[in-house]
Amino acid sequence: MTCKTIYPFVAIVGQEQMKLALYLNLINSTLSGVLIRGEKGTAKSTAVRALADILPMIETVKDCPFQLAPNDGMTLCRECFHADCRERRITGNHVEALRRHIKVVELPVGATEDRVVGAMDLEHAIGKGEKRIEPGLLAAAHRGILYVDEVNLLDDHVVDVLLDAAAMGVNTVEREGISFSHPSRFVLVGTMNPEEGELRPQLLDRFGLSVRVEGIADRESRVTVMERRVAFDEAPDAFTAQWEQQSRELVERIEAARQLYPAVTIRREELFTIADFCLDIGVDGHRGDIIMMKAAKTLAAFDNRKEVRKSDVEAAAEVALPHRMRRQPLMEIGDNIKKIKEMRR
Amino acid sequence: MNLKTLYPFPAIVGQEELKLSLILNAINPGTGGVLIRGEKGTAKSTAVRALASLLPEIEVVEGCLFALSPEETAAVGRCEDCRLCAQGGMVRRPVRVITLPLNATEDRLAGGIDFEKTTRDGKRTVQPGLLARAHRGILYVDEVNLLDDHLVDVMLAAAASGENRIEREGVSLSHPARFILVGTMNPEEGDLRPQLLDRFGLCVEVKAESDREMRVATMEQRETFDTAPANFIERFAAETQELAQRIEKARRLLSKVRMPGRLRALISELCTEARVAGHRADLVIEQAARALAAFSERLEVEDEDIARVAKLALRHRQREPGPPPPPQDDRQHNDHDHPHDEEPPEKENEQEEEPGDQQQPPLNSKPEQDPGDAGDNGGTPDESKEPIKPANPDAGEKVFEVGATFKVKPFTVNKDRLFRRGSGRRSRSRISGMQGRYVKSTMPRGGKDVALDATLRAAAPYQRHRQSDCAIAIRPEDIREKVRERRIGNFLLFVVDASGSMGARGRMTATKGAIMSLLLDAYQKRDKVAMISFSKTEARLNLPPTSSIDMAARLLAEMPVGGRTPLNAALVKADEVLRGQLVRNSTSRPIVVLITDGRSNVALADAKPMDECLELAQRLSREERVKFILVDTEEQGLIRFGLAAKIAEALKARYFQTADLKTDTLLDLIEKQ
Repeated sequence: MTCKTIYPFVAIVGQEQMKLALYLNLINSTLSGVLIRGEKGTAKSTAVRALADILPMIETVKDCPFQLAPNDGMTLCRECFHADCRERRITGNHVEALRRHIKVVELPVGATEDRVVGAMDLEHAIGKGEKRIEPGLLAAAHRGILYVDEVNLLDDHVVDVLLDAAAMGVNTVEREGISFSHPSRFVLVGTMNPEEGELRPQLLDRFGLSVRVEGIADRESRVTVMERRVAFDEAPDAFTAQWEQQSRELVERIEAARQLYPAVTIRREELFTIADFCLDIGVDGHRGDIIMMKAAKTLAAFDNRKEVRKSDVEAAAEVALPHRMRRQPLMEIGDNIKKIKEMRR
Repeated sequence: MNLKTLYPFPAIVGQEELKLSLILNAINPGTGGVLIRGEKGTAKSTAVRALASLLPEIEVVEGCLFALSPEETAAVGRCEDCRLCAQGGMVRRPVRVITLPLNATEDRLAGGIDFEKTTRDGKRTVQPGLLARAHRGILYVDEVNLLDDHLVDVMLAAAASGENRIEREGVSLSHPARFILVGTMNPEEGDLRPQLLDRFGLCVEVKAESDREMRVATMEQRETFDTAPANFIERFAAETQELAQRIEKARRLLSKVRMPGRLRALISELCTEARVAGHRADLVIEQAARALAAFSERLEVEDEDIARVAKLALRHRQREPGPPPPPQDDRQHNDHDHPHDEEPPEKENEQEEEPGDQQQPPLNSKPEQDPGDAGDNGGTPDESKEPIKPANPDAGEKVFEVGATFKVKPFTVNKDRLFRRGSGRRSRSRISGMQGRYVKSTMPRGGKDVALDATLRAAAPYQRHRQSDCAIAIRPEDIREKVRERRIGNFLLFVVDASGSMGARGRMTATKGAIMSLLLDAYQKRDKVAMISFSKTEARLNLPPTSSIDMAARLLAEMPVGGRTPLNAALVKADEVLRGQLVRNSTSRPIVVLITDGRSNVALADAKPMDECLELAQRLSREERVKFILVDTEEQGLIRFGLAAKIAEALKARYFQTADLKTDTLLDLIEKQ
């Protein structure tokens, strides 16, 4: 992804809800991801790839295969194959820290289980008679974004593994003579085309937010889409430069919101509104409530406010609840939460 | 698992039953574990993981790989070589919670050969599995209903005998493995095998709180935890500590708790009333009640203790009649009817050579059974009951709503030797991926799935002439690969009769209910589906092969009924679809589910429709890779034509009437024997 110029995120026309959902996840990584549902050619994948532009920074140990922060525990390091880094960490010496953007790790639909969870390095095992772990995508995605294009087409056992890791924040591997576990907390971003089949409710529930994207109906915007795309294809670098200022502003705004988030408060009254919302709509479990509250708070932070307003709660419902209405297999997914809520009343 | 980031147990809002059942297990391992069933997002996993901080300490021989207690030393065959225990090293550590991930392999669960040590030292060394680590601790399986069958078998064998026997990869060893089994599951994704279900001492059903205050409290707690975990844990530290001490105290008290004789009578009465099978329930209730008494710091069990725990112990064992039992599922019981078939010969035969896919002869069922309504008794109430409004105002056509759904009988295709890719849970097959049970080894097929034991054996004869840093030198030509087996989903082709005759007397409603049940079953087994419907003069492929069961369900709900019965055209269409499927994927084993009353009345050529139909059916049955199931929807009693049964015979199909599709746990078991 580095060798090619990426279409700038800020240059994407429309699709405000999808953009917002992605911002919210960048600001608050405990929102556990977003599911983008929509037809072909609605800039779903473009948007996710373009995120690379506006990602926040984190601090990690240099070259750490498990993306550990410098002050993380050392339990993992004892078995790590980076010998010199291991020595230095364990003996308490200084390790090189690195400030870098969080990563977007793509999980291809055809990925095999061993690539996802990690496996034994066979060549090493046979040549040297030594077990060495080859970390998988779940290790690479720790503290970052795990992106699954066409998530509804993912092999079933890979889905189970993903669910396991997403639920626990830990990836436990017990396969073929190797036994290890490492932290794996990631923001799960999936795109899908509902025509190809829906997701299992269990997996749906793991996505914090969900948005539906559609082709833009407005003529003018459609023209803008074409114009920008042509401009980008002809001179990618010039096009990107043109948007740089805006990109930077967005990054700063996200960073500011990240700083502000812990200070955002929500009144009990609004919490009751959230509980009522979820009870009225009838979502399973409590994850809906929790995510909705977090989304509302994050929205306030993004708006540079310290107090959650009613409008935040309403906006949060639109992204946090639609996919939770599907409580059982073969149920429909609603699109307009507000309308549904009123209908149920 | 890092204790520092675990949500504290006492901070879980509500879910009292769940918390109690876990505490009882922490106090008395005799309680026999707990199964937590419930919807998503109800703190199931959180509670189990939080339990780790409450568990009491046990004494373990220092460095012992099998977590033996000082009294147990020399219980393992290998102990003579080890003798760690003789050195007298003893440590106290908390009881462990061992997680069994869904994608674990058998060698890691049961234990196997330690490749590293073996190649380095040239000596066969055992690497104990999770069962050894879980000894005297808790074995935790998240989403236990999704666990592969072969792992369940290993686990059950160990749980039943309290001992794990390793006889694999050239290792022969047995060691004690007494663990508390804790599992969570979401019933939507399928149910557990009865044997496994019975292994769990207690069963709790969790639901989200419907109380607003509680919901708000839940949100607040969670957010405080997420923003500053360390502070939050600190805040609850005292409470956690107190609870841990209370558990420890109860544990010490446990042996002194008396069980009055009259309460034993009460227990057995409760169990008889609930019609439970076996005696495990009685024992579990007694043990759990004693734990509860000890937890309440009493030395004698009281009626109330029994009442509280009986509910938990009987819920999943109860059989009808009674308040809503979790559906007792035996869909997978036939695992035991199919002991693993003979080990196939060494050579891999990649050509189509099927060990005669024996089609069952039409399973002629009793014609005089209860009326063919698709189960309004015992059917799981389901959203599909909601009426679906007629969508098609076409004249002469009518859309019926979907009737009640139920659990369907298991059906599979037979095993063969072809390798397939995929997942799911219907029929056993060899698998080209890396999941599934390791059945044997073979020469490399280009994958990465190395069979370490076989590789070591292959390298062994040449060791004298090879030089290496390790004790055993392995060359690329020694590499052997694993052959694996597991269940995968099939391709199900539904051929649905939508002719006018199906509309009579709400039959279509019941039929749609039956089809919906089959679809739900297909969802849980992860099948691919396609759907053909036929009415008036033609058969249409409404749904091309897809893994989206949802689409099939939607189509089914909207399917109108009316006109004549062009069954013959449907059979031709089915053949077309099947051929396409078999060309694209020659290893696939489709199952055709034909749902009709059999009154074919539209001929394709110049012949009697019915004769033509039987002729076509016979021709279809010649494709050995395809298996047919015919669901007869003809009304019972009155005058019957029995046409569908004839067609079933011609197709060599398994024959069902709508009502027979339903599983009836006990009856089904008896039939099998």
